[in-house]
Amino acid sequence: MTTPGRPREANVEALEGLVERSMSQRQIAWRQFRRHRVAMVGAVVLIAMYLVTIFAGFLAPYGVNEYRTRPVAAFRPPTPIHWTHPDTGRLVRPYVYDVKVERDPVTFQRVYVEDTSTRYPIRFFVERPEATYSVLGLWESDLHLFGVDDPARIFLWGTNDLGKDVFSRVLYGGQVSLVIGVLAVWVSLGLGLLFGGIAGFYGGWVDEFVMRLVEVLSAIPSLFLLVVLASLLQDPRNPLAQAFGLEMNSAQTFLMVVLVLGFVGWGGLARTIRSLVLSIREMEYAAAAKALGASERRVLRRHLLPATASYVVVDLTLAIPGFILTETGLSFIGLGPSAVDTSSWGLLLADATARGISIQFVPWLLIPGIPIFLAVLSWNLVGDGLRDALDPRKRR
Amino acid sequence: MFGYVVRRLFNLIPTFLGATFLAFLVAQLVPGDFLAQRALEPNVRPETIERLRVQFGLDQPWPVQYVRWLGSLLQGDLGLSFSSNQPVWDLIAAPIRNSMVLVVASLVLLYALAIPLGVFSAVRQYSWADQIVSAISYFGLAIPNFFFAQVLILGLFLLRGFTRETFGFNELLLPVAQMTSSDFSDLNAWGRFLDVAHHTILPAFVVATSGVAGFTRVLRAQMIEYLSSDFIRTARAKGVGRRSITYKHALRPAVIPFVAGIGGILPTLIGGAGLVEIVVSWPGITPTLLAAIQRQDIYVVLGLVVVTTGLLMIGNLISDLLLAAVDPRIRYD
Repeated sequence: MTTPGRPREANVEALEGLVERSMSQRQIAWRQFRRHRVAMVGAVVLIAMYLVTIFAGFLAPYGVNEYRTRPVAAFRPPTPIHWTHPDTGRLVRPYVYDVKVERDPVTFQRVYVEDTSTRYPIRFFVERPEATYSVLGLWESDLHLFGVDDPARIFLWGTNDLGKDVFSRVLYGGQVSLVIGVLAVWVSLGLGLLFGGIAGFYGGWVDEFVMRLVEVLSAIPSLFLLVVLASLLQDPRNPLAQAFGLEMNSAQTFLMVVLVLGFVGWGGLARTIRSLVLSIREMEYAAAAKALGASERRVLRRHLLPATASYVVVDLTLAIPGFILTETGLSFIGLGPSAVDTSSWGLLLADATARGISIQFVPWLLIPGIPIFLAVLSWNLVGDGLRDALDPRKRR
Repeated sequence: MFGYVVRRLFNLIPTFLGATFLAFLVAQLVPGDFLAQRALEPNVRPETIERLRVQFGLDQPWPVQYVRWLGSLLQGDLGLSFSSNQPVWDLIAAPIRNSMVLVVASLVLLYALAIPLGVFSAVRQYSWADQIVSAISYFGLAIPNFFFAQVLILGLFLLRGFTRETFGFNELLLPVAQMTSSDFSDLNAWGRFLDVAHHTILPAFVVATSGVAGFTRVLRAQMIEYLSSDFIRTARAKGVGRRSITYKHALRPAVIPFVAGIGGILPTLIGGAGLVEIVVSWPGITPTLLAAIQRQDIYVVLGLVVVTTGLLMIGNLISDLLLAAVDPRIRYD
């Protein structure tokens, strides 16, 4: 067994010329996944969205909660960007106009009219000390990709009822809406592995009990559980907060919503894992491990759970879009992460349904729905691609 | 068959009890109660609060409250609402009925759309029409219900703007809010039915979308599998007509999981209807539930949970029975 290194390597090199090197399972799966064109598109869109989310502060011209009460900027439509000189019609550096507030003489509604006396060119890499941000909590800055000089302002996607910039808030919203699903899936996975693994492995009354619990959980309409748990856990007097001395700032509320989502979603996963473990448990290699004297826990951890991995990966990838949808729904009814210093796509959509608003006059408030749609679609595509890639029967 | 139904009904009891217990426990964990909110009002005397606390049994520890509540539940009494002092049932009956109108309508729509679409794209596998159907189903799975409702409403408004310009027709094609028109009480029975149906179209369609998308995909896969199986080839060899093969031989086994799936999609439909109800101000379960939670009117919340949980369980049972009716291989004895 003590073969010296060099001759062996030479041997391998010699072989490589003759035999095609066999690929590992992971390599095969990756190759399959790359062939799945739609899934690749989904993956690229997701990577782009997560990158934008990381650098949201830099890409957004305004802070997440930045607004001015004067001059009034509520429900401003998207700012038109002009490319040509008003007199000569020649192409110039893009600029915007400031707006004047006027009243429509008939309907008496507020209308914004462009004040064409001064042109405000769009500047790139502007520093705005009033809108500082940090990238991943590591790097503080106030540099923004673009902006215009005061008093003009640039609202690419209009403003909401408080005059906050929808574009900036959508970019920041990803920090909640895109992240929460990925975190909640881990909570679900933990609970699902724990209960599903135990139920499938021990069987008998343990199995009966766990499966009854899952059944009870799924018997309660999930909307009720979500709403009650979310309103419960966001109260600073809740038992968890009391136990750990939390004061429910926005980060802690965020974590609570993650817990709620994960808790409501683990049942299905536990069922899948249980049935997988039940079937794998009867396989020869599990019996062999047992015969070799491996403890029950070792068989469970080293042999049974890893065998479920590929199913679990697919299940999890397909669970993330569900969590994203649930979070946006919770935020939509005002029970998501708090509205004060964070933004979320569901919360932004709630602006469009607020009392006294008719959507036909403020269609830009629906823009935050598009990233939800894109994110959920892409996760679904990637999940389907992974399922096909990891399933040997579906290989092409 | 009868024996099976009785056994299933008995099996439901522990699950139902577990669900009520869990719901009660969770509702109890919410700090403070309705009376704590009332106590903050300056014109309410502390003695009144104490009297109400005893009257509603809130001075007892929660296990006692649960047993009392369960006891009256078994007698068909859901208790009193704190905020309005009315029996809970009177408060929630109308919202539940309204939500059921929406859910049943979207269920019908779901089957009416998903089965033809699934069959169609399976028969024309890989054609451009099939590609379009599968693109649409991805779309339906990815769009949040409430956002889709908002988009459709905007679309209806834009359409009205267009028809006003071109035809002078200044009406919305479909009503976008509420369940009834303002002149509902003046209508006769048929007019009322039409009015509600007219209001139901938009939300029912929205609630059905994600279900249609999911069903179409699964039905397509099932159909493709059956269409390439041996018994279909035999049928073809015998000279059975194409239509008969598709609808009688392949579709019948392929829809079995959908019949079984009714129970599974009911909770999603009820949950999905929830946010759509808010967008179109449908007087259903979700707005009532949210208002009750905000007021900490626990018995109203629990009443809604008990009734919807019961409905779900009955839905599951019905889908199991339907399964036996559709699939001759399954016999419950």
